[in-house]
Amino acid sequence: MPGIYVMAVITLAASAGLWGGLVYFLSGRRSAYLWLILSGLPLSALVNLCVKKPLGLTVSAWAGIPPPWGPTSPVWFLTFLFLLSPVFEEPVKLLPLLFPSARRTLSGKGAALWAGMALGIGYGLGEATYLAYGIARNPHFARMAWYLFTGYFGERLIVCFLHGVMTAVAVSGIRRGLGPGVLGVLAAMGLHGLINIGAALYQFKVIPLAATQLPFIASLILLVIIFEGLRRTASREPGAADKAEEVVYYQRTVLRHPVEKA
Amino acid sequence: MNDALPSQTASRIFKPRPSSGWLSLVLLPIPFIALGLWFLLLGDPRMPLLVRLFNGIVCTGIGLPLLILAFWFPGMRYVLGPGELILRYGPVLTYRIPLSGIIRVRRRNLAISLWSSMRLPGLALFKVPYSDVGTVRMCATSASRHILLIETEDAVYGLTPADEEGFVAELKSRMGV
Repeated sequence: MPGIYVMAVITLAASAGLWGGLVYFLSGRRSAYLWLILSGLPLSALVNLCVKKPLGLTVSAWAGIPPPWGPTSPVWFLTFLFLLSPVFEEPVKLLPLLFPSARRTLSGKGAALWAGMALGIGYGLGEATYLAYGIARNPHFARMAWYLFTGYFGERLIVCFLHGVMTAVAVSGIRRGLGPGVLGVLAAMGLHGLINIGAALYQFKVIPLAATQLPFIASLILLVIIFEGLRRTASREPGAADKAEEVVYYQRTVLRHPVEKA
Repeated sequence: MNDALPSQTASRIFKPRPSSGWLSLVLLPIPFIALGLWFLLLGDPRMPLLVRLFNGIVCTGIGLPLLILAFWFPGMRYVLGPGELILRYGPVLTYRIPLSGIIRVRRRNLAISLWSSMRLPGLALFKVPYSDVGTVRMCATSASRHILLIETEDAVYGLTPADEEGFVAELKSRMGV
């Protein structure tokens, strides 16, 4: 068995436990979100096999650019490939919301945040599986020992969370209506592009290989800030889980502006 | 002239809710200290001495402070003294809150954030950022559940007295409300 599969099992267990646990416990132990995680699992394979790969092959055949594609390919074609992931993956992650039972989970800001996180994390877990399958089929990697894939483990663990935040941005917009929904999906695409920009800049020979992680780390910090912002907004909602159990023992009115006394 | 009742001039000590915080502080550093000792005492003979020392000292240096914090865990307490509330955890943490500066006292669950802080299962110390109420100066045996928040103009403090009702009654009595 290729070593990547052993690491993929470890990665999936760690990611599902960590991020599934985060969604479950921080959302107030609502199991509905765990079902949304499951619904996101097949979507990465779906978009890669049915949309991105056929589109890439069609355009490359039309332009006469045979695979394998890499730094020697034309810049316009690399840009096209770079845009495929944000443009198609973000809408595909939202497909489970076509089902009325999934839409019913979007009852408030907090619910939209956790539903989006669950869908994105599910997508991320599926993507980790799909990538492991692709790596196992590559003769160069197939015989490598499982413990040599720690880079895969670290990256996929973080990417699962990032997928969750991007989808949470989109779903938070969708909950508010058509206009904010479109803006939310566009924002998610923009964030996705930002996360991938390091690899793209390396392909374009703008930055060296060693620097590709810098934009990724910057994106990670930005998405944690966005996640915390979404949580703060959700926690201010009337009836938020943590607020509901609040008991005020004492409160003194502080007059910040003495003129108010008059 | 001092209007305080005789009982209010004496300090009264309240213990925190029991928790497994000490276990977190003991279990978490074990792998670091074990790894550190392995580097320092055994290690791989092919490894340069300087690298062995560096790895050993860093690993032990991460684990030891947590073990020291575990030693002080039973000493966590809340002291209601004349005119002030003192939150104390060994010699490393002392928050003094003037009773006259308290503007709100409430109990609630807090939404933990992803930002790093001294927060383990059963223990929260020092400044901890929360998604809903902002930064809280914690001296508590829980990081998020049933935290008694004491707010002043300048800061918010989080504690978990075992006898919450008794603590709040004594606090309000000393505040004169």
